[in-house]
Amino acid sequence: MPADTQPAELDSAKVHGFDVDLFSNFRETFLPVAKVVAVVQVDSGDGERRDPRKWRNWLRWRFYRHHTLAVWRSFASAYSTNDFVKYGVWAGLLIVASSLIQFSIQYDLFAGDVASDLGVEQASWTDTLLHTVWYSVVTITTVGYGDVSPTSNLGKVVGIIFLILNFGVITVLSGTVASVLVAARLTGGATVDEDKYKAHTIICGWNQFVQPLLKIVDADTSVSPVVIVINETSEDIVGRAIHTFKRLDVMHVKDNYTREEVLKKAFMERAATVIFVPDTSGLLPTESPDEQKTILAVLTAKGLAPAVNVVAHTTDPENVSHLQRAAANEIVVTDAYTANLLANHIVNPGMPQFVNHVFDPTSQNGRIKALELPQEMIGESHRKVFAYYKLSHNQLLLGYAVRVSGFDLGAAMGESGSGFIRDMINEQLEQSGVSLSTDEKVVIQINPDDSYVVDAKHRALVLD
Amino acid sequence: MSHFTAEQVKKINHFRSLTLEQCERITTVLEDHEARPGDQLLAEGDFGDTMILVFQGQIEVTKNISVRTPTGLAKSRRAIIRLETTDPPPSAPPLTAPKTFVVKVPAFGIGEFALVLEKAIRTANVNAMTPLSYGILKLADFATLVEGDGTIGGPVYYEVAKAAVTSLAQASADISNLTQAFFFSLSR
Repeated sequence: MPADTQPAELDSAKVHGFDVDLFSNFRETFLPVAKVVAVVQVDSGDGERRDPRKWRNWLRWRFYRHHTLAVWRSFASAYSTNDFVKYGVWAGLLIVASSLIQFSIQYDLFAGDVASDLGVEQASWTDTLLHTVWYSVVTITTVGYGDVSPTSNLGKVVGIIFLILNFGVITVLSGTVASVLVAARLTGGATVDEDKYKAHTIICGWNQFVQPLLKIVDADTSVSPVVIVINETSEDIVGRAIHTFKRLDVMHVKDNYTREEVLKKAFMERAATVIFVPDTSGLLPTESPDEQKTILAVLTAKGLAPAVNVVAHTTDPENVSHLQRAAANEIVVTDAYTANLLANHIVNPGMPQFVNHVFDPTSQNGRIKALELPQEMIGESHRKVFAYYKLSHNQLLLGYAVRVSGFDLGAAMGESGSGFIRDMINEQLEQSGVSLSTDEKVVIQINPDDSYVVDAKHRALVLD
Repeated sequence: MSHFTAEQVKKINHFRSLTLEQCERITTVLEDHEARPGDQLLAEGDFGDTMILVFQGQIEVTKNISVRTPTGLAKSRRAIIRLETTDPPPSAPPLTAPKTFVVKVPAFGIGEFALVLEKAIRTANVNAMTPLSYGILKLADFATLVEGDGTIGGPVYYEVAKAAVTSLAQASADISNLTQAFFFSLSR
């Protein structure tokens, strides 16, 4: 073939003795090869024609080979990714191997039996093979019809050996299939739609607060409806608690949320908020949850995705410092205000009722909300923002939730001092798993001066 | 009498303001030395009354620091800087590849605080990284020279004072950084 020959569009007129239908079919499925074929054919053009039958057979061979390879690749892919396909193949191979071995060993033994079974003088080898395979399958599947069975002593001895061997094979296969099913169940079964899980909420742990919490989230359309709850509580209990929500799309992952791979599976790094609550999964009503699990889980979560917003709920104020060290962004302590509320029933009657009203999710009005400031209010004074909410929405502006930047040790050190000391500090803190910067924090500004100016980092806290 | 010349001495920052004649006088009290790669010239924590004037070769300055390792706290020797002469350059490549900055100057002096203190504490380790050609200037000899010619002392002491003030400012910043890091790690 000349060096300057370019693969041209296949011109059937120049391709001698070509099966046009086959060519069209082939062109559609295997065009790149067709182009090369055309070049070879055209360049041979000194009049030497090839046998069209050979061509047809060659192309057919290529065509079927292509499809056979595609089927083989699909099968190989399924074999390597699907355990059921893998073990199914092995089961089939074992049955075939077992049958063939029995057939070869017991041919003579079965032959007489098969002949009498069929009522003929001499059974053909196909009859004997079919009977042997039938015997193997009926035996290996433990069905045991008994219509074909060894009759001689030797046949029975061989049969005993194969029955024992087959028993082992079937036990292993059953166990494998069962373990695949159990593993799939333990790991949460089906894969999840990756695109769905962005800015979602993850709730790790299960207790009496989770359902009311979800109810409030369900009612607020400003947050993503996608929620993943991870705990080891039974599906029935969780299912009963979550099936009533109209808006929320709640997925229950029954697993241990202190494990890194479980949090990864919930796409934690993409979540808007991850909440850890004291987990009562598997506990009796009289037992208290182990809150060390919450601390460990927060550590794991912040190690895995330092930027994710982690809210930890604890019932023990002593855990607060541990959760702070674990870098939880927010910590909610249940009952921290109980003493205060009780005392205020005595010294400040009316205030506890107000608090109850404000935090009662069923209250129609008088609830506190944190709202994004309208663009036109950015840069304005508190006095003006206050008037805006009162006059435009009849809401009482209580103050602001302000996002303030965290502390960055690297930036604080800058270029001061010896480089090697700074390097050593960075290296040692990193080795200890201590991040060099703290996350952004939210601080509350209640009823600031009238002249206080708000910026885009402020959210308005209003009483609706 | 050293084989090092007044011109070589004048290349060292501490003596750059002296006249050649004054540098000549310094060479009269210099002790000539050679070191092989790996030899330790100064040890951190030792006291000394000598300044080292390096005329050819490369040295590495290191500090002993306790650092956290997977098996607990361990003493580690951290390289701070390497200094190398350019006039003439080292006669051989360094013993090990540098893991820190290499500052190249025509010639340099180390342990200069020994020119003003009788028992100056060595604040770092100094090791030769290449064959080293250097002179040793003793405090007593330098003091004698200064007694004989007061004008030698001024410029040299001025350079030593500048080095001391710079070190002090850096130490102050280091303390500040370490304190910040200490409280920061406590809060995590």
